[in-house]
Amino acid sequence: MNLIERVVAISRRRSPWICRLNAGSCNGCDIEITPLLSPRYDAEQLGIELHGTPKHADIVLISGTLTLRSRQAILDIYDQVPSPKAVVALGSCPLSGNVFAGSPLVLGQSLDSLVPVDVWVPGCPPRPQAILDGIARAASLLEEGATRSQMESLLEGGQGRPS
Amino acid sequence: MAMLKTILGNLLRPSRTRAPADMPDVPPAYRGALAHEAARCTACGTCAYVCAPKAISFTQDPGLSVSWRFFIGQCSFCGLCAQNCPTQAIRLEAGVPAGMNSAAGDGFRLESVIPLRACTRCGAAHVPLPASTMDALWGSDEAERGYCPECRRWAAGARLRVAFVPAAGEEVRHER
Ligand code: SF4
Ligand code: SF4
Ligand code: SF4
Repeated sequence: MNLIERVVAISRRRSPWICRLNAGSCNGCDIEITPLLSPRYDAEQLGIELHGTPKHADIVLISGTLTLRSRQAILDIYDQVPSPKAVVALGSCPLSGNVFAGSPLVLGQSLDSLVPVDVWVPGCPPRPQAILDGIARAASLLEEGATRSQMESLLEGGQGRPS
Repeated sequence: MAMLKTILGNLLRPSRTRAPADMPDVPPAYRGALAHEAARCTACGTCAYVCAPKAISFTQDPGLSVSWRFFIGQCSFCGLCAQNCPTQAIRLEAGVPAGMNSAAGDGFRLESVIPLRACTRCGAAHVPLPASTMDALWGSDEAERGYCPECRRWAAGARLRVAFVPAAGEEVRHER
């Protein structure tokens, strides 16, 4: 890794931009993201900035149960996020479906089977502090080049965009 | 007055949490990470029955142990299991579960092994009652402590029989 690459990697950790994706959440997890951006929790102290469009994001926060209708949307939006990228799953829902599991409209699978998830933040909903911790973990994984999408593109012979 | 106190408190305290690990106070009734105490659990299954998302399950190693299993990724932290456990074996602690890098990680699944004990009378393997329950029921040096539920029923029946039916040879006296 030459000097420039090193600087780029460090900047990636110091200023991760996030994009929020609601896959069918009860809104509990999303409500917990709002105080995260407020002065008490202050996500910007870690350089985190919330962006509406996935095309500017480094880290995607996915909350909520995976439903039949959101499946394709998740795949599409994930593809729009430029590499390198990290995925943080919020709450119990993306992992198992939580109380909604077993409904005919809910995919009976973990988010991992759709997109590579790097950090799981447990809770229902997780505390803002735990979400902040999850984003910080994902940001340092991005710096180390150790997110699952980065590793996969490395295995495929560096087909992903150079970092 | 209360407002002044709040303002003063805010002046003396940092206005924001500085690092992700620097947790603000959680309310006393906060339902965080689940803890299970195998020594108190009787494997009655009440917790698994009341859990709506089915986060709790049991597996058996026949004759040796029963395992109480919990998957945090399916828990909605409702606290019903702790509320309904007759022996208070489950607690929801104030600690906040931290993020994890993989769903298969150890922190996501809890396993608590309850070893079975052989009955001192018939030898059948059974889940022992919690020590405090046994103390309350029989005191500390009672033979029934080691009995399985089947033998406990038999012992209770035997006590009842002795109380009602006099042993053979014993003179029955009716004192008026
Ligand atoms: S994990 Fe809980 S709070 Fe979050 S979306 Fe699911 S049900 Fe709602
Ligand atoms: S934890 Fe409590 S409710 Fe659950 S099986 Fe054990 S004793 Fe029964
Ligand atoms: S807190 Fe609620 S959801 Fe979690 S294990 Fe207990 S009963 Fe199940």
